[in-house]
Amino acid sequence: MSAAEALAPAPPAARPRSRAWRRFRRHRLALFGAAAIVVMVIAAAAGPWLIPFDPLHIDLRHRFQPPAGGGHLFGTDQLGRDLLIRLLMAGRISLTIGFAAMTVSTAFGTVVGITAGYYGGALRIALMRFVDAVLCFPQIFLLLVLAAFIQPSIATLTLIIGATSWMEVARVVEGQVRSLRERDFILAAETLGASGRYVMFRELLPNAIGPIIVAATLTVARAILMEAYVSFLGYGIQPPMASWGNMLNNAQEYLASAPWLAIFPGAAITLAVASFNFVGDGLRDALDARLDLH
Amino acid sequence: MEDDPRTDRTPRLVTPRRRLLAAGAATGAMAWLGPKLGWVAQAHAATPPAKPTGQIVIGFSQEPTVFQPLLPHIEVDEGVYFNLFSALWRVDATGALQPDLVAEIPTVANGGISADGTHWHLKLNPKAKWHDATPFTAADVAFNIALIQNPKFLAGRRAGIDLIEQVTVIGPHELRFRVKKPYAPLSAILSWTFLVPKHLLEKVADINKPEAFLAHPIGTGAFKWGERVPGDHITLTAADSYHGVGPYVEKLIFKYIPDMTVLYTQFQTGTVDYVGIQGISPDRYAAARKLPDRIVAPAPQPFIENIAFNLGKPVFQDRAVREALYLAMDKKSIIQEIYYGLPTETESFLPSQSWAFNPKLPPHRFDPAKARALLDAAGWKPGAGGVREKNGVRLEFTNSTTAGNHTREQAQQLLQQNWQDIGARMSIKNLPPAVMWGDYWTYSKFDTTMVGLDFMVGPDPDATQYFGSGGIPAKGGGGDNTTQYVNPEVDKLLAQGAAEVDPAKRRPAYLRMQELTRRDLPYLPIFQYAMVQGVKKGLVGFTPNVNVQENSWNANSWYWAS
Amino acid sequence: MANFLLGRLVQSLVLLFIVSVIGFAVLHLAPGGPLAQFALTPGISHAELARMAHQMGLDQPLPVQYWAWLRRLLGGDWGHSYRDNQPVLAVILGRLPATLELMATAIVIAVLTGVWIGVMGAIRRYSIFDMLATIGAMIALSIPTFWFGLIVIYIFSVNLGWLPPGNRSTIGGGGGILDYLHHLIAPAIVLALVEVAVWSRYMRASMLDVINQDFIRTAHAKGLPARTVLWHHAMRNALLPMIALAGVEMPTLLGGALVTETVFTWPGMGRLLLDSLGYRDYPVVMGILMVSALLALLGNLAADLLAAVADPRIRLR
Repeated sequence: MSAAEALAPAPPAARPRSRAWRRFRRHRLALFGAAAIVVMVIAAAAGPWLIPFDPLHIDLRHRFQPPAGGGHLFGTDQLGRDLLIRLLMAGRISLTIGFAAMTVSTAFGTVVGITAGYYGGALRIALMRFVDAVLCFPQIFLLLVLAAFIQPSIATLTLIIGATSWMEVARVVEGQVRSLRERDFILAAETLGASGRYVMFRELLPNAIGPIIVAATLTVARAILMEAYVSFLGYGIQPPMASWGNMLNNAQEYLASAPWLAIFPGAAITLAVASFNFVGDGLRDALDARLDLH
Repeated sequence: MEDDPRTDRTPRLVTPRRRLLAAGAATGAMAWLGPKLGWVAQAHAATPPAKPTGQIVIGFSQEPTVFQPLLPHIEVDEGVYFNLFSALWRVDATGALQPDLVAEIPTVANGGISADGTHWHLKLNPKAKWHDATPFTAADVAFNIALIQNPKFLAGRRAGIDLIEQVTVIGPHELRFRVKKPYAPLSAILSWTFLVPKHLLEKVADINKPEAFLAHPIGTGAFKWGERVPGDHITLTAADSYHGVGPYVEKLIFKYIPDMTVLYTQFQTGTVDYVGIQGISPDRYAAARKLPDRIVAPAPQPFIENIAFNLGKPVFQDRAVREALYLAMDKKSIIQEIYYGLPTETESFLPSQSWAFNPKLPPHRFDPAKARALLDAAGWKPGAGGVREKNGVRLEFTNSTTAGNHTREQAQQLLQQNWQDIGARMSIKNLPPAVMWGDYWTYSKFDTTMVGLDFMVGPDPDATQYFGSGGIPAKGGGGDNTTQYVNPEVDKLLAQGAAEVDPAKRRPAYLRMQELTRRDLPYLPIFQYAMVQGVKKGLVGFTPNVNVQENSWNANSWYWAS
Repeated sequence: MANFLLGRLVQSLVLLFIVSVIGFAVLHLAPGGPLAQFALTPGISHAELARMAHQMGLDQPLPVQYWAWLRRLLGGDWGHSYRDNQPVLAVILGRLPATLELMATAIVIAVLTGVWIGVMGAIRRYSIFDMLATIGAMIALSIPTFWFGLIVIYIFSVNLGWLPPGNRSTIGGGGGILDYLHHLIAPAIVLALVEVAVWSRYMRASMLDVINQDFIRTAHAKGLPARTVLWHHAMRNALLPMIALAGVEMPTLLGGALVTETVFTWPGMGRLLLDSLGYRDYPVVMGILMVSALLALLGNLAADLLAAVADPRIRLR
């Protein structure tokens, strides 16, 4: 057993956790967001089993059926496919990409930022100059050039989106940690002989959690939007598979003639992104240990 | 976001069709008389203004950037060339040659071309002047020919011109040259060879980078260079010294609007007077026709939408596979539903307006049952996942095109379903233009491609680049035969057709060739394009021309009805 | 301080070199090339394209091409655009004014309103204002920009006719200052909307952090007026992470307004980068890359210096 593990405290007691949950529950927007995410995830996962249409079956005689027309609750699309089931199938892809890319970029950005901020010195210089180097590339350059090498799929799009959006998290975390690093309670913990890993993840991380969560929620918003953006630039999920991004992008021509084709995926993106943001906001308040002092 | 960059149109030389449009091409107003009659010139009360008045804004979804017309360029650049520069002659909407920098079109009848087609004698228009007031002379023509032949010069197009020799300047407005061997497409090639001034280009340090000229080009066209704001617009202004008809407007502005939806919106709100190059998306046709004070209608183009096979792949070497895929293609639905009945169904690689077009090819039938029977008979048996296979080769392939062409993506998805019905699995792999039309296309790395191709050389039906067995880049050839099609009889017919000057004698070779390509199916022909064109009401003189790259070809004679 | 700056300078040069190597390599190795655009032009055959590729040096080994580029760059020659043959630096500088006009307007709107909304939201946490600001920010962040831009055009240009449907000034018009401003309204607001949301969220989070810290509570306990505590003590500290954010946002100045520029037909840097990438105009892309790297480095340096000035506890290393 290493020194770091020996020093690691016991798992947090139940009390702080339940306090956090209580605070989260008071946050009405967060509850709304959480509920919306749960509903969307369940609908995307199970919904397609309940709808008697094939998401890929083309029926040109029934193109552009308005909502509730011909037994299609949300109408049909430009190829006569049921829009509701395509929306749900698209939800699987978009939610997966958004959530996975957020996880990848936040985890990576946080580790880089906290390591650089805590250790400082040559390691900090190397890591933060690496962040700087990646930040030197306009995001659009990275997206387009990296995407030219790969076959668009959920995994590759997640990696590309993750790879182009972790730097901001790293910088914000590093700035936060560097400022906290000089605070009394950290110096105290070090004086008491706490290991680097302990200080980083038990002392610094909880105190830097606010900005990380804010950054993460904004990142999930961006990841889902970026999927739409990548579709717009021609590297997105390939037809006939649907994502919210490519559905919205393909609806451009029909804004006037069949507006529901744009309204539903647009609303789905907005709802999903906003929900993740609400939850992130609620989590931020809930996890902020300092609020207990009030 | 960018649609297929290949949505341009190209010239054809002579057409047997009646000269419906000829009379009013220069001065008449165009009117849309319904699907069967098309754009037709009609007499009108308005007359052109006494001096150039007003401005016309042409919206392009691609940006013109190359202003030395002999350098490699894309079709959108030619929209500018037609107005800034001149060629020896131009092809009008009927397919006939009209004099531009020449005083008269050289023919065998008037002695301009020798009976065997090898000796040419040109008489130039003495009124023609460069925009800097230097007279245009025979020395300029000789300079242009020499420049294109100069091995150090990166000429975009060299074919045909490289056969010219013994150029002799007889007088300031008269010259003679010889052609090494009779080459029918030469007239067509000269119609898109815009001439550049000798006095400005003969002394530049690097002939491929004439920086000063590119920043401020000087031509002989109806409009002279005004200004260019990169990424935004190009302004040409009326040239008072112009040797032809017009110009009647003071400013001709080419506005770059990269997004097609935005381009349409600017047309809708009146910011843009004419939607050039790719026109209006078929999906917007119905709505656009209802716009007040706008004239919106389709105009035919020489592009043939097709599925190009890579015959180098084992799965497509069996003709039965290509035939079966053609039988299983629901062509009517693609044309009638997805493209709203705008394009014309075709079996040929030539546009129906061409004098070499073969109207008697076996018509396509949509017959999935027959397709299945054909595959069964050829030994393609259903295998895992319902996909047929034969000798370990699965009937499974990708289909690619430029990403972002939404209408074409719909057709791809329909084909995917059509072909799945007969046990062929097609997956869609669309790529951005710089990737799609790079090595992937040129060196035949694709399985199948959905593409709108213009197979001709200008207005000439010579398709050697696309069908000649010597033009396969993947096998070291210099042409565009990316399907890797090899047929000795086709090679022979192509050589025959190019060596004969008289269209009447050339025609049988091309008719037979179309039968062969219809039988061999290196490409599955789907339709000939018709592009939805939109102009503001009151713009007089707009004349769609299937023979040129861009319908701003005659903007010198456009004006506003007052 | 002098040591710090000297160290940064050396680091920056190394960084620029690394950026140029990585950028050059991935750009040239990516499938596709600058001649693809001509592949389907009627009359241009593969033989002519192969000759061009040779003359442009595109068939040489990558290290040779890189060395040629670097040598010219060190001699002050940024190369010429493959597309219009103009000098790269002139091409880039020509697009700068349009981008600066749009970005500066949007950023001023965004920072002012964003910081204000963020602070108000933090001190009146869970009030109706905070609730509405939160919901508004979330929705602003959730709408794809190209979509929002199109809707603005449909409503205000197509239907109401109040604003022009894009462009920097009236086409072919004289272009007075009022004309420019009229054209600036819609794109600046569309671009600012997302930035307002970002800034207000960060500002609110940062402000909340500060408000709950000991020294603020101490200040309140000492009986200092609430206003003084807020503006003198809290704001100063809450703005710290904002400085880092501003540093990060610096390079987006070049590519960030891409979508807005596309929808509103604005001839700025974002469009230039997208078009140059689309046509694989290598010299221009490399030029933009180097300029944007330089700007990013300056932005970071400025952020670090400002952070040190604002918070004396941070030592420059």
